[in-house]
Amino acid sequence: MNKKSIFFKDSAFKYLVGGSSLIVVAFFVMIFVMLAVRSYPSMANDPLMIFGSTWDVNSGLYGGIPAILGTLASSAIAVALAVPISLGMSVFFTEYAPRRVRAALSIVIDMLATIPSVIFGIWGLWIVAPLVKTYVQDPIVGSIGFIPLFSGPAYGLSLFLASLVLTFMIVPIISSLTISLLSTTPVELREAMISLGATRWEVVRHVALPFSKLGIFASIILALGRALGETMAVTMVIGNSFIWPFSSISLFSPASTITSKIASELYEAVDVLHVSSLVELGLILLVITLLVNSSARLVITRISRRNASG
Amino acid sequence: MATKLVTERLSAWFGKKQVLKDISIAFEERQVTALVGPSGCGKSTFIRCLNRMHELNPGARVEGKAFLDGIDIYGMDPMDVRRKIGMVFQKPNPFPNMSISDNVVAGIKLSGEKSKADLDAIVERTLKSVGLYDEVKDDLRRSGASLSGGQQQRLCIARALAMEPEVILMDEPTSALDPASTSRIEDLIRKLKSEITVIIITHNVGQAARISDKTAFLYLGELIEYNDTKEFFESPKSPITERYITGRFG
Repeated sequence: MNKKSIFFKDSAFKYLVGGSSLIVVAFFVMIFVMLAVRSYPSMANDPLMIFGSTWDVNSGLYGGIPAILGTLASSAIAVALAVPISLGMSVFFTEYAPRRVRAALSIVIDMLATIPSVIFGIWGLWIVAPLVKTYVQDPIVGSIGFIPLFSGPAYGLSLFLASLVLTFMIVPIISSLTISLLSTTPVELREAMISLGATRWEVVRHVALPFSKLGIFASIILALGRALGETMAVTMVIGNSFIWPFSSISLFSPASTITSKIASELYEAVDVLHVSSLVELGLILLVITLLVNSSARLVITRISRRNASG
Repeated sequence: MATKLVTERLSAWFGKKQVLKDISIAFEERQVTALVGPSGCGKSTFIRCLNRMHELNPGARVEGKAFLDGIDIYGMDPMDVRRKIGMVFQKPNPFPNMSISDNVVAGIKLSGEKSKADLDAIVERTLKSVGLYDEVKDDLRRSGASLSGGQQQRLCIARALAMEPEVILMDEPTSALDPASTSRIEDLIRKLKSEITVIIITHNVGQAARISDKTAFLYLGELIEYNDTKEFFESPKSPITERYITGRFG
């Protein structure tokens, strides 16, 4: 009897934890199925229309390429800006900062990570936008504006501004992970390098960074995923315009992303084709995010296997 | 016999705690000097003062003098000191992200540009001198971490030797190794002294007796006794030394 009740408890526990895992899988499948079903009208109407270049609700044209490219470009720029900033800050933090500075910096990084994205949006709109317009866009447009990538006029709300706000949102992700990785560099490896006459920078360059490179790479991918999916702040500062990239390729042109498109249009959309095209964009975003994550996973297992086999 | 490395009233602290008290000692050139003493007696701190690694610990402080060939070590650039005074650690610590050959030349690469051929020659020469070359020559691109513990330690010795240091400090280099690997490294140390001054910390008085020319005994941060190894073991002057070498504490 006793034995039986233990067995019962144990198997009940098994079903309980198994069930929790099943719920997670079920959620994922449900999201995928929902996106697929709800985007069906658009796919059935014209499977290639979403890959067109014009989004014009009045003429029933739903080309999603500008939004898709906007998503990729804003995230790529944000990662390109955030990586050097984060690595620089992490190296300063772990190698050079005095204890008090470190404590203060770590509070700031943690707080930065918890700021709601709508606050980032307001900040981008009111503070960053005018600063960027005055000190970055106007001088660049005025000097090298003949290059299409930097041409004017500078409106304020732009792809560049969205990328910049995204940068500030992902810096804490990359740096907090990188800091914890760098600070776990084994002391004996650091000392080995120091004993060979290495400077602090050489210890970072040849020991700490190589030791943490896989984890740093993973944190960058995590940040990229966050940037690809970020909605609120981007919607507030990107200008939601389909000018970019076909009418103007300038970084200072207002643009759109998949998320900004969905967030700003879904509630007003009445036409079935309009709604399903927005959902199809959502499906594409999900696929992009999955591809990014799984290719990162592939790279990580490749590299770690190569290291293990020597 | 010329003196190579001299300390005069060298003292060291961790924060407020004094771990070395007025150590004055002269190490002779191309000799093996063993430092023995119970754990916590300050042996490691002492040799880390010689290559200026003690001062890297937060709150660490050094007083007194240390001279390499008559030049004040604490007046030199610490990077230069460490290039001239190499170090081998207790736990083998090859760089896991580097191949065997890159491990050997890791320090050389820092100090300047050298041609691939020069580097290859250094790798071959130093790996031969530590007796590792024949064991690894088929695949020098393999990770240094893939070697056995004893091989890793010989790789670390090769890495220190590649810098052509004048002095090599060894902090219990065999305490993490099996007896066979230990005896190979002891042979290597005896061979090394034809070219280099060796200062080795050991926990094992037998090892000190086997490989060293002179032995110093440190106890509670003080230098108790320093003598030719034979004298040191046959007729210790201090009763504490005698108790230590006869295994009555340690």
